[in-house]
Amino acid sequence: MKADVWMGYLLQIHDDFTVVQSPFVLNDARVFGADSDATTLAVAALLHRAVDELVTSVSIPDGFDARSICQATGVQSHNLDDGSTAPWDLLLSDEATVVLARHGAEVTLADLEISVDVDEGFHEAINEAWGAELSSGHVSQGAYVSQAQYEEAALPRLSLVGQTAEGAVLWPPRFSHLVAGVETSNQPLKREGTIQTWTTLSAAGAPSEFSLRAPLLGGISTVLLHLDDGPKGVFLVVDDEDVDFAMDGKMELVFRRLYAQEGVVRYGLKARSIAN
Amino acid sequence: MVDVAVVGAGQTRYGNHPLGLKGMWAEAARDAFNSIDNDFDPVMIDEAFIGSIAFGGSQLGNTAALLTEHSGMDGVAVRRVENACASSGFAFRDAWMAIKSGQADVVVAGGIEKMNDLTPERKRYWLGVSGDTEWERLAGLTFPGTYALMARRYFHEFESSHDDLVHVSVKNHHHGSLNPMAHIQKEVSFEKASSGFMVADPLTLYDCCPTSDGASCIVLAADHVAKKLTDTPVWVRGSGAASDRLALHDRPSITQLQATQVAGKRALGMAGIGAEDVDLAEVHDCFTIAEVFATEDLGFAKRGEGGKFAREGLGRLNQGSTTINASGGLKSKGHPLGSTGTGQVVEVFKQLRGEVTSSRQVRGAEVGLTHNVGGSGATCAVHVFGRDQR
Repeated sequence: MKADVWMGYLLQIHDDFTVVQSPFVLNDARVFGADSDATTLAVAALLHRAVDELVTSVSIPDGFDARSICQATGVQSHNLDDGSTAPWDLLLSDEATVVLARHGAEVTLADLEISVDVDEGFHEAINEAWGAELSSGHVSQGAYVSQAQYEEAALPRLSLVGQTAEGAVLWPPRFSHLVAGVETSNQPLKREGTIQTWTTLSAAGAPSEFSLRAPLLGGISTVLLHLDDGPKGVFLVVDDEDVDFAMDGKMELVFRRLYAQEGVVRYGLKARSIAN
Repeated sequence: MVDVAVVGAGQTRYGNHPLGLKGMWAEAARDAFNSIDNDFDPVMIDEAFIGSIAFGGSQLGNTAALLTEHSGMDGVAVRRVENACASSGFAFRDAWMAIKSGQADVVVAGGIEKMNDLTPERKRYWLGVSGDTEWERLAGLTFPGTYALMARRYFHEFESSHDDLVHVSVKNHHHGSLNPMAHIQKEVSFEKASSGFMVADPLTLYDCCPTSDGASCIVLAADHVAKKLTDTPVWVRGSGAASDRLALHDRPSITQLQATQVAGKRALGMAGIGAEDVDLAEVHDCFTIAEVFATEDLGFAKRGEGGKFAREGLGRLNQGSTTINASGGLKSKGHPLGSTGTGQVVEVFKQLRGEVTSSRQVRGAEVGLTHNVGGSGATCAVHVFGRDQR
């Protein structure tokens, strides 16, 4: 079966369910890419379904980061403790596949034609690096951003919510309005922009948050984007080995893993070439 | 209002220094005190401002008090000034203002950083704390990456290429090769600097300053005291400072540093001169592209022509109207973060007094300028110096 590509993932769309799969394959099984996991696939599924349909609540089983999913999509995590059923369920397969299904829907998975082979050594090494980064014994030497500070910026960081003040659209949000006494409101921004400039840092030049993974990735790439709604922002690039960077090149923002600190994965938006 | 002069200046050699914070500061203070022509006693010092990011594996809080304790400055009212790589540029400005205000007659401004006693991981931590942490850092940027973004955009907007940055690197290596206090005293060829290890595309190793240990110390005095301490004071003719948004994405343009433009205009305006009157400028070339920006933002080159300025060798020793980074700059003299601003003043002080070897003396040097930047332009301090009082 042919599949659509959505935010760098493979997509099957049905009336009652949405299937999101990793494009990467190792030994005939689908595996997560270097900066993906079940949570990033779930966010992609919810954002796609939200294009045409209002999803207000979803049951989120173990294996997902429910808090990040809710922050990234605005969807509520359904509380099953009272015996009620959620209108939608997130389901996780063991092959880098996530299904968002209407409750009670019968789900069938089709074989998809698209696959990108992954080097086994690289796949193991990157997973080991994430494991080490997530271990309680690992102390990042990175410039420390506390959990509280990360949470304060969760909306703009995870769902690209901007701030409007006196007709201007700002991202990331600022606090000057508190001094000026100006009313502000939140405005979700379109997740697309054009390249203003870019760089690829060698592993040696990368911040120490990325010190375990950057050598495996051959460095990391960052772009400064002029977002379609006005503000500018800097973002890491997804699958940068395939990107032909060019001034004014079009990119979209997708939800991915950034790094891990104190045993918790920190998520954020990364740039992906629309040409890909 | 009182005029302010530099009456003494000293520094350690920059590089891998065998001593720690206390010893390096003592060396710089000793050389500064010894450079004062007439009798001087540290007991004359009213206030002291010492710039540092407190990089090294040693004292973090109360660093300044530890340093004065080891340099015969016991009891002096001292504090650490932190403004990233512009820490001691601002320490110098604070010292100048203390005298200008009439509250002090003799003030020490200095800076220090110990960078090479850390593991690479810890070093990268400190090198990243002064950029925008929440957004740029978590988008994978350290300063090489930030300046690489600026460089690529500059090449796109103007008729310039990486070759122009290579010219900056070759020039500053040449100047540094003549400076016995420089970290890297070695010439580099155009070919070698063109093909360096890629750190952050398009910036190579030869576009980046080294991580250096070092300390520098300046003694400033009010005019009535200065004239007792020396017959050849170097007068502080202008001081300007400014700030800008930390993150590149919050700035209207990333091919110029607004803080430099404002600080430079204020300093030159106070001195009553234009950029064309400056004989030598020590500018903040943490990366070669930063020197290109500085030459434009301070007015030595027109907007968009900083690359051409470098290409034509106009900043080379005694080649154009203004010698840029006669010391070798951060690129070659070195960049011990907190020490850099006052280290620039040491160079200008010695150049204006004709105290450097003839091979690297800026001919007819009457007016000098220092330009010290914090981060990728979030803070900037500019000072103008002259042999003449006004």
